[in-house]
Amino acid sequence: MNTHAPLVRLSQVYKTFHAGTVNEVRPMRGIDLDISEGAFVIVLGGNGSGKSTLLNAIAGSFAIDAGRIELAGHDVSAWPEHRRAGLIGRVFQNPFSGTAPNMTILDNFSLAAKRGRFRGLAWAQSRRLQDELRDRVRELKMGLEDRLDTAIGSLSGGQRQALTLLMATWLKPKLLLLDEHTAALDPKSADQVITLTDQIIARENLTTLMVTHSMQQAVNLGDRIVMMHRGNVLHDFSAGQKHRLQVEDLLSRFENVRRRELLDESAARLLRSRYI
Amino acid sequence: MTLLIGAFTLGAILSLLALGVYISYRIFDIADITVDGSLTFGAAVASILLVKHGMNPLQASGMAFLAGALAGSVSGILQTRFRINPLLSGILVMTALYSVNLHVMGRSNIPFLGTVTLSTYCEQWGVLWFGATETNLWGWTVSSADLTMLLLMLALVGLVAFALWAFLRTDIGTAMRASGDNPQMIRALGGNVENYRIFGLAVSNGLVGLAGALWAQYQNFADVQMGIGMVVWGLASVIIGEALTGAASVGVAIIGTIIGSILFRQLVAIALSFGLNPNDLKLVTALFVFAALILPDMMHKLSKAKQPGVA
Repeated sequence: MNTHAPLVRLSQVYKTFHAGTVNEVRPMRGIDLDISEGAFVIVLGGNGSGKSTLLNAIAGSFAIDAGRIELAGHDVSAWPEHRRAGLIGRVFQNPFSGTAPNMTILDNFSLAAKRGRFRGLAWAQSRRLQDELRDRVRELKMGLEDRLDTAIGSLSGGQRQALTLLMATWLKPKLLLLDEHTAALDPKSADQVITLTDQIIARENLTTLMVTHSMQQAVNLGDRIVMMHRGNVLHDFSAGQKHRLQVEDLLSRFENVRRRELLDESAARLLRSRYI
Repeated sequence: MTLLIGAFTLGAILSLLALGVYISYRIFDIADITVDGSLTFGAAVASILLVKHGMNPLQASGMAFLAGALAGSVSGILQTRFRINPLLSGILVMTALYSVNLHVMGRSNIPFLGTVTLSTYCEQWGVLWFGATETNLWGWTVSSADLTMLLLMLALVGLVAFALWAFLRTDIGTAMRASGDNPQMIRALGGNVENYRIFGLAVSNGLVGLAGALWAQYQNFADVQMGIGMVVWGLASVIIGEALTGAASVGVAIIGTIIGSILFRQLVAIALSFGLNPNDLKLVTALFVFAALILPDMMHKLSKAKQPGVA
């Protein structure tokens, strides 16, 4: 593997959903994106800008129409989702998505401990896993260490997201994908989960791609910001630029985009009324 | 007493079917009608191997398991590779199996007269263990063969139940349970949901095929109609088991399902002895499952209606 190549490389990736119907959406219009190893990239964008689609394309939730996705030296464009999972840890926006609700905490982690590995007839819950899990869960300070046999579905959204994060990073992933993982939480739980996110990423030195709606998170976290708009990368702030960025700067960039679009539409209307 | 032992034995045999239905209904959340076909398929394969080829009854029962597993994997492949609705997949495989079963059996009914089956084994072992063809059980005189059959079936069911419990706690078994609970999650953890589904339905219908083979040997004939409505029977057992035990964990759910099957067979035996027309059996079973399915919702609504102040 070439050590100089970026960990993730998207080249000219296209995706259209519901092509040829009234519901046609084009969330990826020739996206190029390089992410180097160890980077913590924040992805920002309005609704429908294609930011979640970007994460899902990398994770393999759907097949891309054109282009190429490389991950850790492999061309993964044609890999099914479950195969890519060997390289990727994921936390979803919906706290219900990342865990199996009717199974115990221990069950869930025994699955995470085999992420991307062969699953055979070995006993799923070893004594070692239980001990290690109890220690790691105790660090969360949520009082869950004595409830490892509780069904995960009975826990709060914040607890589930914290556990999902722990599961996604139980085996160190090459790439961690966080898809607005605090958006569905109350402010206090969101803060807790963000703190935990920051800790884990720093400690394990994880390459991370995190989608967020929160400008505050975007400014406070990570070392690079990618702003998405209409299925493409609009701005890309490197660590140096990001350092000077304020929430207001980001908001004004979005405002610019909005104005430009309004202008486009009114101009188009003007032209139509003149010439058609 | 003979009636009671018979009901226990049949309940034990059909608990294998109930365990199969537990896998498809509770783990994968699908009502898998393949069961109606694979039960007969298991019985058909075993009966031909026993009658025509004189195979060892235990081996023949093992082959019935494989036959059922084959039927289950076809259903699984229809659901996953061809994306056909699970209910429709089951209907297709069940319908196709009806012809297959007739071909395998060559006719619609095969009696096991003069054939060595588990029943014949039990007659010999019964005399061996209890010293005579009849024995005393808590003051009742019962046939040693019947009693041996019951003990054999209970032992067999215990063995299968333990194996199933252990399997569901292995890496692949745990992943299979998760694929039914939250497919998105297990995919993100590198699990191939489609393969788990196919494999799970194979195991499920394998158990059903085994139940078919044992049932045929117990009643000493195989019939092409014996599988009709059996998925509903399995559902009833699973539901009774859950009502009794609460199904807090896999182990409890497995034990509950077995108890549910035996209990349901007892209830049926009692109802029949009180004059229930056997023709009404399927109707009553279906009504029972219907009631069990809507009751939780109805009770929920009733408890809400009683508190008009609560929004």
